[in-house]
Amino acid sequence: MKKKLLATMLVMAMTASMVGCGQTEEPAAAPEAAAPAAGAVEVEAPAAATDTSEHVTLTIAARGGSHVDVIEAVKANFEEKNNCTIEVLGLEAADLKQNVALDAANAEGAYDLCMIDDPVMPEFMEGGILLNLTAEGYKEDEDFIKASRAVGKNPYGTGDTYALPFNGNVQLFFYNKDALEKVGGTIPTSWEEVLELAKKGKAAGLNGYVIRGQQGNPIVSDFLPILWAYGGNVFDDQMNVIVDSPEAKAALQMYLDLLAQGANFEKNDIVASVADGSSLMALGWPSWFISGADASAAYAAIPSKANGQEHPTGMIGNWMMGVTANTTHKELAIELLKYLTSAEVQKQTVDAGCVPTRYSVSHDAEVTAKYPHLAEICDATDNSVVRPRTPKWSTIEEVWGAELSNVVSGTKTIEQGLADSKVAIEAEMAK
Amino acid sequence: MKTKYRSFIYEMTVPALIILTGLSLFPFIYTIGSSFTDYYLLAKEPAKFIGLDNYIEILKDDYFRVALKNTVLFTILCVFFETVLGFLFALFVNSIKRCNKLIRTLVLVPMLLPPVTVALIWQTMLSNNNGIINQMLNAIGIGSFNWLMDVKLAFGTIVVIDIWQNTPLTFLLCYAAMQSIPQDQYEAADMEGANGLQKLFYITIPNMIAGLTMVILLRTIDTFRLFDKVNILTKGGPANSTTTITQYIYQFGTRKFQMGYASATSVIMTVIVLLLSAFYLYKNLKEMSE
Repeated sequence: MKKKLLATMLVMAMTASMVGCGQTEEPAAAPEAAAPAAGAVEVEAPAAATDTSEHVTLTIAARGGSHVDVIEAVKANFEEKNNCTIEVLGLEAADLKQNVALDAANAEGAYDLCMIDDPVMPEFMEGGILLNLTAEGYKEDEDFIKASRAVGKNPYGTGDTYALPFNGNVQLFFYNKDALEKVGGTIPTSWEEVLELAKKGKAAGLNGYVIRGQQGNPIVSDFLPILWAYGGNVFDDQMNVIVDSPEAKAALQMYLDLLAQGANFEKNDIVASVADGSSLMALGWPSWFISGADASAAYAAIPSKANGQEHPTGMIGNWMMGVTANTTHKELAIELLKYLTSAEVQKQTVDAGCVPTRYSVSHDAEVTAKYPHLAEICDATDNSVVRPRTPKWSTIEEVWGAELSNVVSGTKTIEQGLADSKVAIEAEMAK
Repeated sequence: MKTKYRSFIYEMTVPALIILTGLSLFPFIYTIGSSFTDYYLLAKEPAKFIGLDNYIEILKDDYFRVALKNTVLFTILCVFFETVLGFLFALFVNSIKRCNKLIRTLVLVPMLLPPVTVALIWQTMLSNNNGIINQMLNAIGIGSFNWLMDVKLAFGTIVVIDIWQNTPLTFLLCYAAMQSIPQDQYEAADMEGANGLQKLFYITIPNMIAGLTMVILLRTIDTFRLFDKVNILTKGGPANSTTTITQYIYQFGTRKFQMGYASATSVIMTVIVLLLSAFYLYKNLKEMSE
């Protein structure tokens, strides 16, 4: 009987471990090497006011890709001046958020600085993950683009600063220039014009307009600018859910009309098809189409007019950087943060992929001569709209994204989908 | 002698038990404990005991019910087709005299790829814009399909990808079971004049019951926790048509940091898998008692 019991327990434990120990995530990008990057650039680094006789290691949890290249390119100077080593851990976005949040539970954090996607900022600031920089004596730097600066404050735009804008980003309207000329169109300024162009595109055998209708964050990010153009929003000023407003219904109808003239693609297909001219227009982030001084598609500000009204529509998507609340090297980490977001570093690292978040760098004559789009991104960011500031935005993206997907897939009507969206978002907000 | 033998058994068992306790039992008990709390990763206050609230909320959630239905349907379809195809392929390879080593190696290639790589390869092949599958369909005049964004196609597409990747495993297990069947049974059948079908139904399949049960059990457990392909290819959409329980757990645990709620869902999932495995456990116990 004992043997039977032991065998049963072992089989159950094996089953439980097989259920629980599956690989559940996309693999993170490999940790970046601590050695200086080949393209390291010379920038004067400040020395921290603290005692630097003891060699310390600062660890940055960063979004993998060009952001890591930027840090690697300039870290050597800071390391030398401050007797420290900077380790940069490049992570995929979801892993970055999860790793930093998990580390926040420790008394002494493994990360000294971290990058944060702007919609996650409220969750991290209210969750106590980030150090209050204002309380540590940080003085606001008005050279940062105002809209970007506001993202790092809690409450939004008016409170203390918790993070500084590290890399600029704002959604733009992308189109294939040759295809636009082929259908005899000009850059649209209203969504009605976009629809007319899309119809012409379809008549010419192209995808007139491509939506990014993948459930969750993609469809929400793709639809929000149109909703804003129609004067709609997710919440009103009192945080009441208004996703079922007449404006939202009109915007979603426009979204479906646009889909009828084109296709529903995932990101890579959008980029490829607009670049090769098989699709005429789409919304996207600059980094999808613009690399260095080259752009694979023409771009403009997202049309802001709809139904005879005009509203700002460019969605801001900055990557912020903050010091973790549980860092063991607070002062040095703050110095490093200031250094990495300084005008000098931003100017020197545009070649490595930095999109400046400062007015002075974005409009610098040398920079704009080489990368003219950076000034446009700066101007678009200045007039951008921020996604609703709530710690529950990730949750809202999930539930709203599922309902929008229902409407786009035709399993629900616009009215039903938006009514269910309202119920689902209200339920999440009430938790 | 008996005492020495017994102590040897314990010495050999203890390391495995320690590892199992550390890696399975402790997390399992911790997860069960968390499932009765409102544990939120970013909360400043400690988690509070909330009884069965998480379980009640989960069972009332339409989204969970869709995820459960999808997972069960997905498991049934995948396990059925993977087992049947694996068995048939093992029969084929077992019956051929030439090149069976080469075929065996080639067949196993999909199994060697990590699920993430498989998902990315298929994403490229299924691309609406320039994927090879749509290009081939266009070339023969059928036209292209939106494989992963069309609510009528996405679920079936994920099923096909999973079958493609995991049939080699079922083939391998079936082939191993087939190889262990005593040849004298076939020789005796030949002497009695049995035909191929009779040998299949009276010798091959009866001898493989234990192996096939193991294949079904392993594939059921593994398929039930399908995540990578869904998360990369469809993110549970369109219209929740491909969402699974693990995707549900991921959203609440990893994206929303609602660990208590995610733990409760994990416990429900484990109970379901244990129930599905009950048949095997029962059989295992029965064999041991005999």
